[in-house]
Amino acid sequence: MKRVLIVGAGSGGTIAANTLSAQLKKEIKRNEVEITVLDDRGKHIYQPGYLHVAFKGADPEKIVKDEHELLNPAVNFQIDAARDIDLNEREIKTEKGKTLSYDYLILSTGCRTNPDLIPGLSGENYDFHTSPEASYRTWKAINEFKSGNIVMGITTLPHMCPPSPNESVFLADEFFRKKGIRDRVDITFITPYPRVYPAEAISECIEPLFEERDIRVETFFNIDSIDPEAGKIFSMEGDEIDYDLISLIPPHEGSPVIFDSEIGDEEGWIEADRFTMLVQNFDDAFAIGDCTAIPISKSGVVAHLQAHTVSATIADGIRGIGGVYRYNGRINCPLEIGDGKCTFVVSDYEEPIKKIEPSRIGYLQKWMIGKGYWKMLKGGLDIPMKFYFGETYHK
Amino acid sequence: MVEVTKTIDSRGSACPGPITDLVKAYRRARNGDVLEILATDAGIKPDATAWAKKTGNEILEIIDEPDHIRVLIKIVKD
Repeated sequence: MKRVLIVGAGSGGTIAANTLSAQLKKEIKRNEVEITVLDDRGKHIYQPGYLHVAFKGADPEKIVKDEHELLNPAVNFQIDAARDIDLNEREIKTEKGKTLSYDYLILSTGCRTNPDLIPGLSGENYDFHTSPEASYRTWKAINEFKSGNIVMGITTLPHMCPPSPNESVFLADEFFRKKGIRDRVDITFITPYPRVYPAEAISECIEPLFEERDIRVETFFNIDSIDPEAGKIFSMEGDEIDYDLISLIPPHEGSPVIFDSEIGDEEGWIEADRFTMLVQNFDDAFAIGDCTAIPISKSGVVAHLQAHTVSATIADGIRGIGGVYRYNGRINCPLEIGDGKCTFVVSDYEEPIKKIEPSRIGYLQKWMIGKGYWKMLKGGLDIPMKFYFGETYHK
Repeated sequence: MVEVTKTIDSRGSACPGPITDLVKAYRRARNGDVLEILATDAGIKPDATAWAKKTGNEILEIIDEPDHIRVLIKIVKD
């Protein structure tokens, strides 16, 4: 029997498990293949939904589902935490004391936020990248805010969802405008990049909005520390900004099991091939989604397309065909600018990002992605997805 | 001959781009370190120049190699 082990049941892990179990349906029935998913939570969070919980007051419970409901019944789902991953011995030890071995491994362990990496940030920051609860706490904080300086933006790189810092600042501006207190609230956006968005084409698109909406921008701001008592943010270059409330994207790093197993870099990201997602020096282990050191957006669409690519490679490998499929680096990330408009950040390894004017149609597309998310995880939207993404959507 | 402390190979990196790798490396760099950035994205030239000017660090050299751009930055403000 061939065993496929998937560690982590976020977007990438869930899509890989469901895609493989559909592709290898007959082999699973004949007990020739077993697909196991290992995840410590058993709950699946629609992470792009954090933004609307934090800045539009969406219900945090609506972005969480039981993972059992989302996985194909043919998948062996185990709620247990991976504690040690041994790529040489092809086995994983779990918190409950099990040892799981594999023929193929997919690491989709995601990432976590670690505010402790910036002195003074922990407990002081209102973020929307950690959990539904943290995002709701941010919603309450901006509701209670009556006047003063809000500082938003990026602490360190990389972080999940590159458009989210811009989106948060636009939605905060919209929130205070609609509440009629925007004239009493100063908003400052900080970023270590040279411009408001790392890609120039998108920056050209959204930079004028910062001026129109009276949002102050501090580029090249490399945050060093925060003094909560003084209400000050310090940069590594000695600049300082006063604040009354901070809503910053906290530092991100790889999952603890990646550090503990010593299979990542110094920040816990796994080195993997950007086309095949094979973990460096291995031909039976793949890393997909947010957990990799691949220089590409940490976003759902990347995890999704990579999951399809490695599933195709593994399915062929199990059938003895031996093909290795390649991901072309396609990204497709919505960037909401407030007032029901949205642009998209679209590129691949060959094609640079192009300017796409924000529109209501763009917002509708973003809304549809959110609405279709749960169905998409189960493979229910594979036909339109294949149509939309073309060759890179491997089946 | 400049002694390079860390090489950042951003060749082939499009989004979020070599500037992301530079910003990441800067956080871990020490005063006196020399960062070498290799990039295929031409945007690294104006970005690294503007970044160094704003952060108070020093561009030692920007070299057009046949198939990539090589930027040497000395960290003097840490």
